[in-house]
Amino acid sequence: MQDPSSTNGSASAQERDGWHLAASHATTHSPSDTTWGTSWSGDRGKLFGIALWTGVLTILTLGFYRFWARTRIRQWYWSAIRPGGVPLEYTGSPYEKLLGFLVAVVILAFYIGIVNLLLMFASFSLLAQPQLAYALTLLGLVPIWFYATYRAERYLMARTRWMGIRFGLEPGAWGYALRACLHWVLTIVTLGLWHPCMRFALARYRHNRMWFGTKRLSQSGGLFLLYPAFIHILLAVALMILASVLVREEIMALANEFDITEFENVALSDTLPTAARLFVVAIPWFLFGLIYYSVVGRRLLVAQLSVGETQLDPQPRVGRIVLITVLGNLLRYVATVSVFFVGIVILLIAVATLAASGNLFDEPEVMFENLELAAQLPQWFTIALGALFYFLVFLIWNIFTHVFLIMPTWKHYASTLRIKGAGHITQIRQRARDDSEEAGGFAEALDVGAAI
Amino acid sequence: MTMVRVGAVRDRFEGRGLFLDGEGAELRKVALRIDETSGTLMGFEPAPPDPGPPTTGDDLPPVNPPQPGPAFSWPLDDIRRVPGQAGEDVLALRLTSNATQRLLLTTPGDRHVLQTRASHLWQPAPVTGKARLAIWGSAAVASVALMIFVLIPLLANNLATVLPASGQRALGETVLEDIRVALDRTGVSPVATCDGAAGRAALTAMEERLFPDGLGDVELSVFVLDHPMINAFALPGGIVVLMRGLIEEAETADEVAAVFAHEVGHVINRDPSRIALRSVGSVGVLGLLFGDFAGGALLLFLTNQMIAADYSQEAEANADAFATATLQEAGIPAEALATFFERLLAQHGDPDGLAAQFLAHPSLSTRIAAAREGAEDLQSSEPVITAQDWSALRNICAETP
Repeated sequence: MQDPSSTNGSASAQERDGWHLAASHATTHSPSDTTWGTSWSGDRGKLFGIALWTGVLTILTLGFYRFWARTRIRQWYWSAIRPGGVPLEYTGSPYEKLLGFLVAVVILAFYIGIVNLLLMFASFSLLAQPQLAYALTLLGLVPIWFYATYRAERYLMARTRWMGIRFGLEPGAWGYALRACLHWVLTIVTLGLWHPCMRFALARYRHNRMWFGTKRLSQSGGLFLLYPAFIHILLAVALMILASVLVREEIMALANEFDITEFENVALSDTLPTAARLFVVAIPWFLFGLIYYSVVGRRLLVAQLSVGETQLDPQPRVGRIVLITVLGNLLRYVATVSVFFVGIVILLIAVATLAASGNLFDEPEVMFENLELAAQLPQWFTIALGALFYFLVFLIWNIFTHVFLIMPTWKHYASTLRIKGAGHITQIRQRARDDSEEAGGFAEALDVGAAI
Repeated sequence: MTMVRVGAVRDRFEGRGLFLDGEGAELRKVALRIDETSGTLMGFEPAPPDPGPPTTGDDLPPVNPPQPGPAFSWPLDDIRRVPGQAGEDVLALRLTSNATQRLLLTTPGDRHVLQTRASHLWQPAPVTGKARLAIWGSAAVASVALMIFVLIPLLANNLATVLPASGQRALGETVLEDIRVALDRTGVSPVATCDGAAGRAALTAMEERLFPDGLGDVELSVFVLDHPMINAFALPGGIVVLMRGLIEEAETADEVAAVFAHEVGHVINRDPSRIALRSVGSVGVLGLLFGDFAGGALLLFLTNQMIAADYSQEAEANADAFATATLQEAGIPAEALATFFERLLAQHGDPDGLAAQFLAHPSLSTRIAAAREGAEDLQSSEPVITAQDWSALRNICAETP
């Protein structure tokens, strides 16, 4: 573990005295020259345990426990992050989440029930098919979805504290939803080229409405700030377009040369154009570009984020996040698929035991008999078994996502974050509690799903 | 650790903590003591009281005797651990009665003392606002119930009467597809429809015998599903579905005809459209409650509901009346329906809930009686279809089209 006070380069003598956190050090520097690092304190095993038992309880309670599960998980993540050695604190309660969810249900039940029904009716009456209704229902939910995202973030900020001081996000969810919709239209119209502008504009909208205690956060930088982060996506797409054009030309040339009009007569391997090999480079490059855009984009954004005279200095490394993403995904897929296969083997063994007819794998005929027997099992049994598998897979997937993907990512972002001009923070005073009564309830009801 | 004495009481515990007063973003160094007489934990800021940040140099001044007045004084019994802390090297404490103040302990010794002395450390902080939780909980349950049991059915009933035929047909076909997928147990393809040519011809013969003049603007489509369930149901747009299990279980073609006529009764009264529209509304609302957590299971449940077709008693009576009238007009004993289900109940208990759906109605005895009364004037009855057609119908799933 990183020494929390290392950035001040002192402290070993004070390690044991109870007053040694970086943020408690008086320095001879001016407040502007004080820099704090951020440490991470939380181990994988404990998170695994929390994710496991909250997941099991969520399943056993048909999802009802999820408010408690989410609270517990957030408390863990928040308190693992320690800017200046002082842990963040998540103060949200499961009861308020439940309450917010219930409020959202009261309102959305009417919207979704009636609107669904009317749209379905209109769709069947006018077009004699349901697709229009599905599309319209989804489209109608888009602004609400953005609204819910903003409200959920407001709730998260209102329930986050550091140094005993609350964060906050001003109301502004409908403004956010409107801007998000407009920017998405622009992004779609420009085939994605507008995305960095949208990302910046929406982040600025949120960041400029955030507070730490009595100080407002401030996002600087221009609308085009994030284009440097977009570069690899652009290049990879350009390469894909180039490859497509070349492939097309090769095929045309080939067709002219041999006067072939029907390609099905030719084996694929014979005709695979050399230019198609460019995709072998372009596709992984594009995937790398996505991660690069995410990481560097965040770094550029946060580097321009300040609280008064205090400035954030993020230094996340793309390579590290690439490694975490690749390994994390590999592990969670392997784990989930393994559970699936282990489940099938257990099922076969269970069937064999049921049939009580010798070794399953010795005689194929016996196995087929057993499979036939399995097909005759009562329906409730197969349904229960299916449900068990479904939930087991869901559980393993969730746990591995937390332990090998989200946690290492957060840890990297946290431990590479420095706070410059940290001395000014002491002037910040407490802000009033934002009841934020809805507590992310709409987000919960619509399954907007924050990262955690 | 510096030993400090205050007054006459000898402090056994002397620790150091970092205090967050919940008012300013500043860690305040405090020397900790426990006052044994009052059972409180007190934090004293070391002298000199140095106003304004930044404080002086890095080397800590020795802990001086505290200035009068502690920075805080917490009853030991009211101290709680801040829940869910990830790292164990910092223990964050709070007071039940104060939501913002925090005390951080960073040395193992100090943490140990507090863990032993503050007896309620592990209890959760009190939950506030339980009343509001109850109110909104009830409101949520009430609004969902109101939607599912009152508003959606009301709206669905009215919309069902104005939904044009083409719309009903499309709705019925969509639902039939869903049902075929839901009933499938192989996981490969939807349940097959049985299309044996001779069997189809027998079905057409039955339809023509029962409804020689057609059904007005309703165009019937009869499907047989290759499934062992003893069941039959109607879908929007004139779709009637008979399961293979039902045809195999019936002893005579008249019994199949009776069930068929009953389902057509539902079609005529647009009952399936009501139910389908109701399901469409309810799926959204129920999905909202459970989240995507049980989305699949929910759909399955609702398709089941469509098959079980939990119509109102009035709708059943109307379908019965229609079936009885149809059978009598065609010269077929109207009690076939009653005898079929009585026999099913006797032989199988409750086959797939279908008999129950008919028999559990409180008015069933009167319905059977009514059916039997109506049948009495019938002198001789010619079976609804020929014996040859009946055997073709029984083989409709075995025969290749």
